[in-house]
Amino acid sequence: MLQIRWHSRAGQGAVTGAKALADVMARTGKFVQAYSVYGAEKRGAPMSAYDKIDDKPILDHSKWMIPNYVLVIDPSLVFQEEIVDNTTEDTVFIVTSHMDKDDLLSMAKHLEGRKVFVVDAIKISQEEIGRAIPNTPMLGAFIKVSEVIPFEDFLVSIEDILSKFPQKIIDGNLRAIKRAYEEVK
Amino acid sequence: MATPKEMMTTWDKIQFGAVLPSFEDPANKVRSKFNSYNYKVADWRVEKPVFNRNLCIDCDFCWVFCPDSCFEVEEVVNKRGKKQAKIVGINYDLCKGCGVCVEVCPTPIKSLLMFSEFVENDEALKQWPKKEDKKD
Amino acid sequence: MATKYELKSKEIWDGNTAASHALRQAQVDVVAAYPITPSTPIVQNYASFLADGYVDGEFVMVESEHSAMSACVGAASAGGRVATATSSQGYALMVEVLYQASGMRLPIVMTVVNRALASPLNIHGDHGDLYLGRDAGWIHLMANNPQEAYDMTLCAFKVAENKSVRLPVTTNQDGFLVSHTAQVVEPLDDDTAYKFIGDYTPMNPMLDTSNPATYGAQTEEEWHFEFKASQHKALIDSAKVIEEVFNEFEKLTGRKYNLVESYKLEDAEIALAVMGSAYETAMVAVDKARVEGIKVGLVMPRSFRPFPYNEIASKLKNVKAIAALDRSCPMGAMGALYNEISGALSANGQAAIMTNYIYGLGGRDTTAEHILEVIKETNENAKAGKRVTDLQGFINLRGPKLSFN
Repeated sequence: MLQIRWHSRAGQGAVTGAKALADVMARTGKFVQAYSVYGAEKRGAPMSAYDKIDDKPILDHSKWMIPNYVLVIDPSLVFQEEIVDNTTEDTVFIVTSHMDKDDLLSMAKHLEGRKVFVVDAIKISQEEIGRAIPNTPMLGAFIKVSEVIPFEDFLVSIEDILSKFPQKIIDGNLRAIKRAYEEVK
Repeated sequence: MATPKEMMTTWDKIQFGAVLPSFEDPANKVRSKFNSYNYKVADWRVEKPVFNRNLCIDCDFCWVFCPDSCFEVEEVVNKRGKKQAKIVGINYDLCKGCGVCVEVCPTPIKSLLMFSEFVENDEALKQWPKKEDKKD
Repeated sequence: MATKYELKSKEIWDGNTAASHALRQAQVDVVAAYPITPSTPIVQNYASFLADGYVDGEFVMVESEHSAMSACVGAASAGGRVATATSSQGYALMVEVLYQASGMRLPIVMTVVNRALASPLNIHGDHGDLYLGRDAGWIHLMANNPQEAYDMTLCAFKVAENKSVRLPVTTNQDGFLVSHTAQVVEPLDDDTAYKFIGDYTPMNPMLDTSNPATYGAQTEEEWHFEFKASQHKALIDSAKVIEEVFNEFEKLTGRKYNLVESYKLEDAEIALAVMGSAYETAMVAVDKARVEGIKVGLVMPRSFRPFPYNEIASKLKNVKAIAALDRSCPMGAMGALYNEISGALSANGQAAIMTNYIYGLGGRDTTAEHILEVIKETNENAKAGKRVTDLQGFINLRGPKLSFN
């Protein structure tokens, strides 16, 4: 089972991002679960969202998991030590930051020796979508790093999932996804 | 931020009735660990509000609307000799960057604007829109 | 005429979305609700379906849950198909009117998203509200995942509106663990779903002014007992109707539901009884235990009311020890599942060793590992041939071990 944990702030779209990823993966015939852990229901409060992806129906409804990927879509949450909870040496971290990887690792000691990828999803979303909603760029970065499905297939699915939005928003999100796919390192 | 581990009390030590004491020592106003004053939200910010004293008319809307009581005030005496609250600045330890203050600011050119977290306040004040800018 | 909603054969829905689509497909005439977390999206989605022309009906804004259920009673007695949704404190405020609705035999469907009751305030899932409404004269159906939340809501209308039942029904799903967890759901298309439920036939509608009727008359000691006895009989007998509806639903979808669900119980020596999303988590634990050689099975009443006493006893006739897991604090007693199952066994001359566990209050995480521990403790009782563990234990509670004997 592929397990993914998102760290975000309420309002940044981690739940929508997690559900979109679940939707994309379900279209390839996988079974999925996307859920989130709500604390204080306030915009800006730290929260986490989860994806489970498997070849057979997912029965486990507990919130606990050992993530294969940890996606951090808020730059300040990178410095919270909770992002490494229940992870292993193989867990891959994709984090949002305006810093480059070396500067970031020198400040975030808990990520030392971990597999870390950095993308500035905040900047990308502000420039391409016009708002700090870093969920879709993070998906672009995740597809690049994880290679769970071909990027072209991902783009077809995500465009369909976004189709309920105005064209301007769809285009902005697709540009943000492509840019994050290129820029993550 | 999840609940700090040292606050995760066990069933046998938990306070009756989910009553949270605001002060450990009420006489000396020593705040308990449960006091919301200890819960800082500054690290939630992506953008910060910057306050421009020169444009402020002291309507106090920002002070009223701010959900985190960030606005620092000074008591002053106005021209007519009445006491008045003067807004002097923002407490960035408490501000989570929600932008409500900017939204409610009524001055023609707003005296509160959102800037990137990395822009110094002096620099932000230099970038403030001018009256002429607005006429175009 | 309502617009058809284009659905894919597989949708990624959380429990709330699933339940709201079922309400839409049932073409409910009146929804009166006062939204409350975690069932808010059911009401919100329904209101947007209505605004977007996907439903022909009325959405009534009210000032409290007490008024919401009162408006539902009014609309249902007027002769409409009526539904609402609530959770926790809202459910508690409705309780007075829940008894009115069932006493008046109004087939209202309420999609409940189970949440803990205050105090302390908590928005997360447990069965405190379900257990509160236990004796209210409603049928209570359980759903363990979003697919079941959809299926049970469709079935609920058909059960409630059956001429021999005419009782209100709740469908229950765990707050957040089901209501906010998106999974693959295979919906029916609008026409098929509506045809399955069928047109609504009102009985004694108050809007039929040529046949005036009074609802909720005063009865006192001459009649009250007879009314209640006939209502109770209808609720007990509704088990047959529920089975018929489930059978019909299976023919339509291939998805089989039973009054009593069970998992690997055929050769089981011990069993766990658990309701809600934890039933599925427990399936994972059962598989792990069987790898370790423990012959364990699971049992769950799909309908908490009517409680299928004899069916559950017959399913459990070969097991030596049973642990009943209740997701609600019984406050000074054993949990409801423990009591019902113990009674069902005694009535049939069966004598498995019974223990009770309280778990998951206020959304406390219960993992397969936690349930595996319970299985191992229950296995100790079976091996010893007598109870060697405590009568009532607590799962994943922080602090020194707490148990009662």
